[in-house]
Amino acid sequence: MQGSRLKLLMPALSVVVVIAVISPFIFSSPFWLDNSVLVAIFSLMALSVGMAYGQAGILSIAPAAFASVGAFATSVVTTRYGLSPLIGLVLALVLPMVLAYPMARAITRLSPLPLSIATLLLSLVLELAIREGGDFTGGYIGLSGIPTLWFAPNLVSMHILGWMLVALVLILYVNLTNSAIGRAVRTARHDPLRATADGVHVPSLLAVYFALSASVAGLAGWLYAHHLTYMGPDSLTMHVSIKIMLMAVIGGASTFLGPILGAAFLTLITLYLPAAETQGMIFGAVLIVVLLVAPNGVLGTDWRTFFNGKKRKSDVARVQPAVGGGAA
Amino acid sequence: MTIEVKDVTVRFGGVTALKDASLTLDRGKILAVVGPNGSGKSTLFNAITGMAKPAAGTVIVDDKRIDDLPAYKRIAWGVARTFQTPRFDPKVTVEEAVLCGFFRLRRTSTMASLLRTPNAAAEEKRFRDRCDEILDDLKLSEFRSQQMSELPMGRVRLVEVARAVANEPKYILLDEPAAGLAVDEQLMLSHEMRRLAERGVGVLLVEHNFNLIRELAEHVVVLKEGSMLLEGTPETIAKNQAFIETYLGSTGR
Repeated sequence: MQGSRLKLLMPALSVVVVIAVISPFIFSSPFWLDNSVLVAIFSLMALSVGMAYGQAGILSIAPAAFASVGAFATSVVTTRYGLSPLIGLVLALVLPMVLAYPMARAITRLSPLPLSIATLLLSLVLELAIREGGDFTGGYIGLSGIPTLWFAPNLVSMHILGWMLVALVLILYVNLTNSAIGRAVRTARHDPLRATADGVHVPSLLAVYFALSASVAGLAGWLYAHHLTYMGPDSLTMHVSIKIMLMAVIGGASTFLGPILGAAFLTLITLYLPAAETQGMIFGAVLIVVLLVAPNGVLGTDWRTFFNGKKRKSDVARVQPAVGGGAA
Repeated sequence: MTIEVKDVTVRFGGVTALKDASLTLDRGKILAVVGPNGSGKSTLFNAITGMAKPAAGTVIVDDKRIDDLPAYKRIAWGVARTFQTPRFDPKVTVEEAVLCGFFRLRRTSTMASLLRTPNAAAEEKRFRDRCDEILDDLKLSEFRSQQMSELPMGRVRLVEVARAVANEPKYILLDEPAAGLAVDEQLMLSHEMRRLAERGVGVLLVEHNFNLIRELAEHVVVLKEGSMLLEGTPETIAKNQAFIETYLGSTGR
């Protein structure tokens, strides 16, 4: 098919173009640069949810937990052992996978709900382990003095690095989605027996896919730690996980750009909300509105058919696997 | 080069769905299984593909006992199937549904797919080209970008056949593929089955339409209440009194 390569690069390209357009306006403002880096970090985490939930149908309540594994891995090796953040990066990519794979392998044969609960437990256990980790994890005090990245020493370069990583992850994610593996994962999400009849070993495939999504969260955690230079037990908690899931669902978990849009939206409205207490209220309200009006998320909804009379009501139950991520 | 089913018994709780069923399917041959609803035809398919666990008996594919192989490995071993009630994601396009069938032919690693290495891209292109061929063969090309939910059931079954063909199986098990097809579509399907057989694929066919069977199959196995009633060529079966009684009922005479 002609131009298919360009089509595959479309989501990443649109992110790069949007960021290139926005960048000149925020280069001089540390406040907006800082927020831009945060949006990039949360985008990565939300993409992790998009992979696990939007594609494989695994609703993990632990994206922030996997991110915190990545974040603490790099924090510990850089602050305690003085190693390079690049070694931290490798650990941040690998450790979440090592944790996620056996977990998914053990529980993907169960129905989705027990899996969600298992990820919830993982999240709680990790938070506990971080608190009780003593000097190793910094305990209640946390780890401070995490070095900034020598190849991205200031906010401008962090901004560029963050969005480059988002674009890179998007390219890989799009590639995988448009491969035999991506199709098999979507089949397995819908009907494991059907996938088996295609010759797919469903538990191992879903576990690999879940592990990859955890790795993306780990990458986000790595960036997070080196951006904030501090990691504590309250940094990436379950509260954050739920916020990330909201980002993915609001934007459209099964689309490529939806999670990023959701991350930008929620991070930005947080800036204008008066107090932390109202956040939950607003987030809840937004979630309810989205689930009522467009359960597939903003980018997962075909707005043309939506406004031209809702003929196909049953369609809301299933999500069209994103190609182009509504960028078209 | 055969599938040999030897004395396979499948029980669901206290119900014996299939009792001492035996059959031999040669590559390049078309074998039909007939029987009223509930006679164990689909259970036989499930037993061969590993989706139902036989209580007794054995299944041998190309001289290899596959009783302990899980379903997905049997498919990878070259035994493709369709389902009597088609299982498909209604939101998926016809093209993508057929592309799903190529999974077992995948040779690139996950990493290569992530990076879309030249190898992975070439493989994807091979799959898409072959998919175009299969869609052409089954006259499905014009529906390629339609969603499965928009198709009539007969055509959904054709897509299921296409998906199984994409598997490049050594044996293909088709569970009532012609149900709900128009006459010309049936002709096309039987043409496709014959071509599969000519290419050396063993075709096991569950079908109610005896005219189609007479046209296609060299050998017919009749099941009744989970047991083998009789087997033989379509002609001898069609004349058999017991077969007429079970299958057409006494009014069918």
